[in-house]
Amino acid sequence: MRLLRTLRREGVLGINRRNAQYTLRVNPRRFYPRVDDKLLSKRLCQAAGIPVPALYAVARHHFELRDLPHRLAAHASFVMKPAHGAQGDGILVIWDRREDRLLRSGGLWIRTADLVYHASGIISGLYALGGQTDQVLVEERLEVHPELAEITFEGVPDVRVIVYRGIPVMVMTRLPTRRSGGRANLHQGAIGAGVSLADGRTLHAVVRNDPIHVHPDTGRPLLGRTIPDFTRLLEIAVQASEQTGLGYVGCDVVVDTRRGPVVLELNARPGLAIQIANRAGLLPRLDAVDRLGEAERALPLAERVALGRQIAAGRTP
Amino acid sequence: MNPAARWTGIALLLFGSTVFLWKVLALDLPLVPSDPQGLWRVDLTITARGTGRRGSVQAPLPSSGTGQVVFDERSVSDRLVFSIRSDDDRRTGVWSGRFRGVHEIVHGFRVQLSEVETLLPEPPVAPPPASVAREYGEPSADFPSYAPEMRGVLETLPLPPLEDPVGRLRTIFAFVSDEIATASTGSDDAFLTLAAREGNEEGKSRLLVTLLRTAGIPARPVLGLRLRGDAEPQLAAWAEAWLGRSWISLSPVEGFFGRRPADRLVLQAGSLQGIRATGIQAVAFRYDALRQRLRPEELAVMMVPPNPVVASLSLYRLPVATQRVMRLLLVIPLGTLVVAAFRNVVGVPTFGTFMPVLIALALRESSLGLGLAMVAAVIAIGILGRVLLERLRLLLVPRLSILLCLVILGVTALAILGRSSESRQLVQGVLFPIVILTMLIERFSIVMAEEGLREALIRAMWSTLVAVSAYPVFQSRFAQHVMFGFPELVFCVMGLLVLMGSYTGYRVSDLIRFRVFSRPAGGATP
Repeated sequence: MRLLRTLRREGVLGINRRNAQYTLRVNPRRFYPRVDDKLLSKRLCQAAGIPVPALYAVARHHFELRDLPHRLAAHASFVMKPAHGAQGDGILVIWDRREDRLLRSGGLWIRTADLVYHASGIISGLYALGGQTDQVLVEERLEVHPELAEITFEGVPDVRVIVYRGIPVMVMTRLPTRRSGGRANLHQGAIGAGVSLADGRTLHAVVRNDPIHVHPDTGRPLLGRTIPDFTRLLEIAVQASEQTGLGYVGCDVVVDTRRGPVVLELNARPGLAIQIANRAGLLPRLDAVDRLGEAERALPLAERVALGRQIAAGRTP
Repeated sequence: MNPAARWTGIALLLFGSTVFLWKVLALDLPLVPSDPQGLWRVDLTITARGTGRRGSVQAPLPSSGTGQVVFDERSVSDRLVFSIRSDDDRRTGVWSGRFRGVHEIVHGFRVQLSEVETLLPEPPVAPPPASVAREYGEPSADFPSYAPEMRGVLETLPLPPLEDPVGRLRTIFAFVSDEIATASTGSDDAFLTLAAREGNEEGKSRLLVTLLRTAGIPARPVLGLRLRGDAEPQLAAWAEAWLGRSWISLSPVEGFFGRRPADRLVLQAGSLQGIRATGIQAVAFRYDALRQRLRPEELAVMMVPPNPVVASLSLYRLPVATQRVMRLLLVIPLGTLVVAAFRNVVGVPTFGTFMPVLIALALRESSLGLGLAMVAAVIAIGILGRVLLERLRLLLVPRLSILLCLVILGVTALAILGRSSESRQLVQGVLFPIVILTMLIERFSIVMAEEGLREALIRAMWSTLVAVSAYPVFQSRFAQHVMFGFPELVFCVMGLLVLMGSYTGYRVSDLIRFRVFSRPAGGATP
């Protein structure tokens, strides 16, 4: 009962409420393909000039897989993923190649035949949300920015921005660990670190539900780190969310060494664990956004990001 | 909670419960599946062997009377001529003809029994009518009430005067009950029972009847059956005495007095003679009794209200086969209610939305234990299949199909192994659940591939747990009766679902997940 009161006071958003009052209300079902289909979201972002990982190859049918190794021959490293995957399932990262041997993340050498088998599993719908047939995407492997690479075990850390009706309201970065198998997935044991919207610094970090200060695998401190190019990151996250037509979006951004922030994917039902990572409830911020007038919502991008920063700091405009 | 949803929910609830209450209160439809107690089906099977001579078999047939209603009599007379002879209130079935070889006669009937309790009359007690006194007050070969031995016994008893027949009855009853021992090896004759101070049920009953007649109270023996739910019925004998205006039952062996228990069927009053045969070589007989439930069409008579409009909407008017399906369909909404509560209020992960309902249906069709064993077997096959098939690198659909084949093989093995013991239950219990469980294996394999074995097992566990929670609902005869008799309750279920669907509070799983918020913030300072 005391817990219930605490959660209410902190404004923690629960699943029922997220579904009933946010995703159901502001996320029209017909726009879901724009986020569930990674190929479609990539195209939408590209058309709007938002940076995304370069696309190397797409395969829809099993027969296209025969010459897939050939099409990828020019790329030493790449990422293979299902267009309709969820929670980072079915993602195969190739770091390097030597003749017909490929070095996958984690340091395991595989053969091209294994690559084709994995692709055929993707097409069969093994990793797709509904189990329907899926497409294989092969795209550029991003170089993690050194600032974040220090607190990452293998894998690619990303920055999750919750964008509500065009305003960024909460941010965390998800840092893969040995336990999460190099995936940026909190369920599987990745670290979630809440990020201050004001300056992009990590404030508080948890793994599963427990606070943590140092990365368990790299031994580097987790808190007080600044996400590089943070303002630009927030801006492209807001821009990307606008392409979807959805009102409540989780936008995953990766900060690449050379290219800066790059939008990796979008999510129409972003999880609620971001509240644990930030140790703050979403509700006060979502309510503040709902109280904004039409004029404020139509402000230029930079000003809306500033508005989000004010709201996150508790200064409701 | 948004107001539109709240009012929709309340409106649905009100509508459903109003119709329901109207049917219960105004139309007086029974709310409980009230099978009348004491409904039995009794079969008498007589096996007779003859050498081709003419002969006959006679058996006492019960008739309807106080505390028992006999109906639905059926007779299989096996090449013989069957007739019923009635004299007074006694009925005898007679099968006659040429007996050649073995004849199997079956006489079956259904009977509604209830306990009979007779109030003992207050003095002055009216004298018995002349017909009763003539028939049941006079001495006979079986009941030698004139005998000096009998008179001698009465003289030793502290008998109240003639004007107090109730007191005389009590005294004589107490003597036969307490002073005469009961032994199945004892005599069945009144004289011998008195002389040995020991008799069997028949002997003690005969002695009681004889002594009562000696004391001037008309009495008769009763031949009956003691019906038992779990064993063969036993032939029983007791006595009846005429007091005031009616016969009252007395058992000097079992001690009932002025009362007949609800499990006693009167086969014949006035004589203890059971099945007789003439002109045949050998005869054997057996009684079988089974507790009965009302048949659907009989229940329908109870459940169809007199109001013609409501009656025309009653599901009890559907053909019986359709009714069976509808009974199942109408409890499914209750099952969904359980699942919705588990998913939206507790927040447990399950396979799909309604897999738990389907598993619960599977459990209902087989039995809880067998069903759970099958669920476990299916999951084991799923894991095994993954380990074995992983290396073959097959495409998804054929791989799942192979798993289905494995499940079918497993069930086949089960059916063969179980043939000796409980094969009928298996065959009946397996066919429908297997369809459901094949769906389970598909979902299980997909989750296992997508999210790993751990997650798949967790979901399987929760799905089964939710199914087991919904199982009592599916199993409950009361729930089935209520939903089938009052299908308007589906509106109430919908109302509850609307209310549950607009519940935006925390789930139990949210509370567990966000419990860190109740701890003091640690490490929040950079």
